[in-house]
Amino acid sequence: MHTQIRKDILNISFESGHGHIPTCFSIVELLQTVYETMNHKPADPQWNDRDIFILSKGHAALAHYVVLARQGYFDLEPVCTFGGCGSQFGCHGDRSKTPGVEVSTGSLGHGIGVAVGMAMAFKIQKSDRRVISLIGDGEANEGSVWEALLVAADQKLDKLTVIYDNNMSHARGLQIHNPAEKLASFGMDVTEIDGHDPAQIRAALEKKSDMPKAIVANTVKGQGIAEMMENHYPWHRRSPSEEELKRFLEELDARTV
Amino acid sequence: MRGQFRDTILDLAKTDPTITLLFGDVSVYLFREFQELYPERFYNVGICENTIISMAAGLASQGLTPFAHTIAPFITERSLEQIKLDLCYNKFPANIVTCGASFDYAWDGATHHCLTDLAILRLLPGMEVLQPGSDKELDVLLRQTYNSGNPTYYRLSDHPHDIDTDIEFGKGTVIKDSGSDTTVVTAGPILGNVHKACEDLSVNLLYFPTIKPFDYELLAKYKDTNIVVVHDAFGLYEAVNEMDDIRTRYHGLKDSFCACYGKLADVRESLGLDVESIRAAIINQTTG
Repeated sequence: MHTQIRKDILNISFESGHGHIPTCFSIVELLQTVYETMNHKPADPQWNDRDIFILSKGHAALAHYVVLARQGYFDLEPVCTFGGCGSQFGCHGDRSKTPGVEVSTGSLGHGIGVAVGMAMAFKIQKSDRRVISLIGDGEANEGSVWEALLVAADQKLDKLTVIYDNNMSHARGLQIHNPAEKLASFGMDVTEIDGHDPAQIRAALEKKSDMPKAIVANTVKGQGIAEMMENHYPWHRRSPSEEELKRFLEELDARTV
Repeated sequence: MRGQFRDTILDLAKTDPTITLLFGDVSVYLFREFQELYPERFYNVGICENTIISMAAGLASQGLTPFAHTIAPFITERSLEQIKLDLCYNKFPANIVTCGASFDYAWDGATHHCLTDLAILRLLPGMEVLQPGSDKELDVLLRQTYNSGNPTYYRLSDHPHDIDTDIEFGKGTVIKDSGSDTTVVTAGPILGNVHKACEDLSVNLLYFPTIKPFDYELLAKYKDTNIVVVHDAFGLYEAVNEMDDIRTRYHGLKDSFCACYGKLADVRESLGLDVESIRAAIINQTTG
C-alpha cells in the first residue's frame, strides 16, 4: 500500500506538473496509519462523531489527497488535475474544495493552533473525539507552533495528538535541536519513533495519556527513492520528467521486492 | 465599554450555551462572575495572540461561539494572518473584541496605539468590522451580530461619547441634516468631539458605527455635497472613498507615528482632533 501511494504521488506529480514529492514521501506511512486508526466515515465526511486530522504542513497536500482517495473520500483519477485551473485539489489543502480536508492550510504554523482550539472544543463538549495534527520540523521554526503547544499542555488537552515530522527540513534553516526533549519540557507526552514503521506509528497513536501527545516521527525526505533521499533540496518543488518517472517507479517496485 | 461588554455577554450567556471566551490576560478580573458561572467556557489563555485567534477558529469549527479579547494592536496587527486565514478563509466565524482603541493607552505611546485595525480588517473578505462609540451602541451591535456566521470585529474604547443615537448593524445614522452642501462623516467615540465642533455650524453630520458592511445607501443621499471625513483611525475614509463620483476631504491622522504621551485629550489636541481644531478644519473645508 505504501509503495502504491508513493507511485500515485509520482504519477500525479508527473501528470499535473506540481508537487512537493520529498515532503510527501516522508509522511506516507504516518498518513496511512492515522487514517487506519481514526474514527471516521469516508462516505460521510461531516459525520458528527468523527476524529479530525489536520495537515498543518499544507504543502504535503498531494500525499494527503492520495491517502484520502484510497480511504474512499473521492476517486483518485480527478486528483490528476492537482493544482490546475478549476481543480478541486489545490497545491495546499482547502476545506471548501476537498472532502476530508478539515482546515485550509498552506501558510505554516496555523493548523496546529486550530487543532488546539478543536481539542478544547471537544473538552468543553465532553466528547471522546480526537484531533491529530501533523506539523513539519521546518514549520516548527514558526513561533505560533510553540505558542499553540504551550497552550495545549497548559490546558491538558488530552484529545490532541501532534505528529512532528522530523524529516530534517529544518536543517537548512533554523535548527531545532532535540525536538522530543523540547516537547516533553512543555508537558506533552512524547513518543519518538521511526516514522516509516507502521507498527511503531500505530502504537504511538493508540497510547493512552491524560496529557496532549506528541509523536516525534523520524523520517526521510524522499523516502524510497535514492536520488531524492540523498539530494532532496533540488527536488523540493519539482515534478519528474518522463524518464525520471519511469526510473523512480522501477526503483519503488524493486524496493518492495 | 468593557463593563458593557461583560454585562451583555453575561446576559447572552443565559440563553446561549455556546458562548466561549478566550482572553489574552486582559480584563480577566472584570469577567470573574462569568468565570464563576461558566468555568468551562472562560479561558485566560495568556499573552499569545496568534494562538488565541487560531483557537477561536477551532472552537468555532465545532459549533461554539468564541470571543477572543485582548488589546487591539496586538491581536489585530500581530495576528492579521491568523484572522485572514483561520477565520476568514476557513469560514470559522469567531468574534474579536478589543480594548485600547486609537489612543486609549495614550500614555503608553506608539507601541500601544492602534490606528490601522479597522482599515486592515475591512480588507478581509467576509469580515464584519464594527466601531461602537458608546455602551448602548456596543450592546445593540453585539446582540445583533455576535452569531452572524461571519467573523466579526468589535473595537471597544474606554472613552465612549455621550450622544444617544439609534443605530442598527450595517446602517449609518443621520445625526444632523441642515440641508447643507457640506456633510461631515465620522465614526466611533470621536463623534463626541465632532458633534460639539459641528453644533453651531450649518453642516450635515453622518455617523457610521459599522465600518463594514458600509451603509453606501445612506452615503449616496449626500454624495453631491462636499464630504469631510473626520476620524481618529484609518478605515472610514477609505470606505467612504470606495463610492464612485464623490468629493471627499479628510481631517484625521497623518502618515506618522504619534510620539506624544499624556492623556487621550492631550494626544487628540496634538493631532488636531480636539473640538476647536475639528471645528476650524470643517470651517476651512467649507470655505476653502
